[in-house]
Amino acid sequence: MKYGFFPGCSYSSAAGYRESIDAINRLFGIQLVEIPDWNCCGATALFSLNEFKALALTGRLFALSQASGFREIVTVCNACYTTLRKANQILSNNPEIVSKINEDLSKEGLSLEGEFSVRHYLDVLYNDVPEETWSENLTERLKDYEVACYYGCQFTRPWGDIDHMEQPTILDRFIERLGFLPVDHSARTICCGASHAISYAKECRLLISRIIREVRAKGGRVITTICPLCQFNLDSGQKGISNPIPVPFFTQLAGLALGINASELGLDKLLVPINRILSRKL
Amino acid sequence: MDEKNLQNRFYDTPYGRKILKCIQCGTCSASCPLTGLMEHGPREIFALIRDGDMEPALRSETPWYCVSCYQCIARCPQEIPVIDLMYCLKRMSIEYDLVPDSHKIPDLYRAFSQVVGHHGRISEAMVMAHYGMLHPLDALKNISVALELLKRKRLEILPQQIIGRRWVAQLSDREKVRKYIK
Ligand code: SF4
Ligand code: SF4
Ligand code: SF4
Ligand code: SF4
Repeated sequence: MKYGFFPGCSYSSAAGYRESIDAINRLFGIQLVEIPDWNCCGATALFSLNEFKALALTGRLFALSQASGFREIVTVCNACYTTLRKANQILSNNPEIVSKINEDLSKEGLSLEGEFSVRHYLDVLYNDVPEETWSENLTERLKDYEVACYYGCQFTRPWGDIDHMEQPTILDRFIERLGFLPVDHSARTICCGASHAISYAKECRLLISRIIREVRAKGGRVITTICPLCQFNLDSGQKGISNPIPVPFFTQLAGLALGINASELGLDKLLVPINRILSRKL
Repeated sequence: MDEKNLQNRFYDTPYGRKILKCIQCGTCSASCPLTGLMEHGPREIFALIRDGDMEPALRSETPWYCVSCYQCIARCPQEIPVIDLMYCLKRMSIEYDLVPDSHKIPDLYRAFSQVVGHHGRISEAMVMAHYGMLHPLDALKNISVALELLKRKRLEILPQQIIGRRWVAQLSDREKVRKYIK
């Protein structure tokens, strides 16, 4: 299994995301080949300011991926995932824009043509790694541990093709496959406020606490996420509250279920500590 | 300000005319997580535009509060691409110099865009440094989190520099291209 990989800017500083993904990849022989010299995808900020720049930035990414032989690009961030997919859709319907971008790209010796498929690493782990491979490698030790899955808002939307737009279950199904007990709750795709948390911290705290309260009420003992910004907002947004809920990445939980040593999963990088809770179970 | 002219400009953008299908049901405004902060929800913004009240629509803070969460789009019975219309309003407000001064998100996005322009990638710390020059209080509020990150070796000050950063920097502001987008 070999894919073009777009890590995005928040990947390397995210709490143990890279560590846990590297560990899983080693175990299953998955190769994520980083797109050389990738640039930021621009996300909501660039689309808000200047659409051509936003499309040129994403166009460059696709061109770089094409140059290194990858038509399939794996992302690990919801914003990257939706931004690349959106750009991909606009570009494939607008050849005039592609030729404008190509004029610019030729200065870098790059060019862009054809279709790309953009995927999330969750999709890879759930759909490309066969179920038997998982069951052969799982340890039993975290059985029935209550996990609340938080998808964030941009993973299933606006297309709703990977799963239901408001009540998706793919992460719950994944978590269940690992042996955890997914708890039912209604905050799966409620927005956490994204980067507005910087400028409108107080207001976004309300959004975040609504998610935390819902999870707590439904008995979730950890909240798992699939996006560095979701993770950061839910983790840092609990500062000062009593009994905060740990927010590990889904890959960290997968690592634990696979029996990978906790020290290899970057769990000590989470702001709300998880080790104490896990040690009771481990 | 020629309101009629602005209205036509808006209608001529790729999704502009879609708001003619809006049935004013208010599902978008009721679903929006940021609606409590908005003076007008998305529904009202579309009503303003249809009435030709373009200046209040373009000066509105609403599009800048929009975080692209797609909640409204998931529910709109008329399949109106609310986010794309919000993007369009934001870009038009820049073009006509009507960006609301009171709102902080334009500064945040500009800081983000500057860092991308210089380095090709961002680091949260660098975006904060640019943004913090205009809004020092917000930057101060984030210092305790920054220290927590530092303790866990997660604070990256400088963004990683890419080879193509000069290419990224030279991307001219070619707003015109917008008209090609279908
Ligand atoms: S959306 Fe965020 S994480 Fe993804 S490339 Fe852009 S800045 Fe980096
Ligand atoms: S929940 Fe927040 S961080 Fe996650 S995808 Fe949505 S806006 Fe982005
Ligand atoms: S949900 Fe759709 S149809 Fe209803 S008011 Fe909003 S944009 Fe109009
Ligand atoms: S996409 Fe924007 S307008 Fe729509 S619900 Fe989300 S924040 Fe509100």
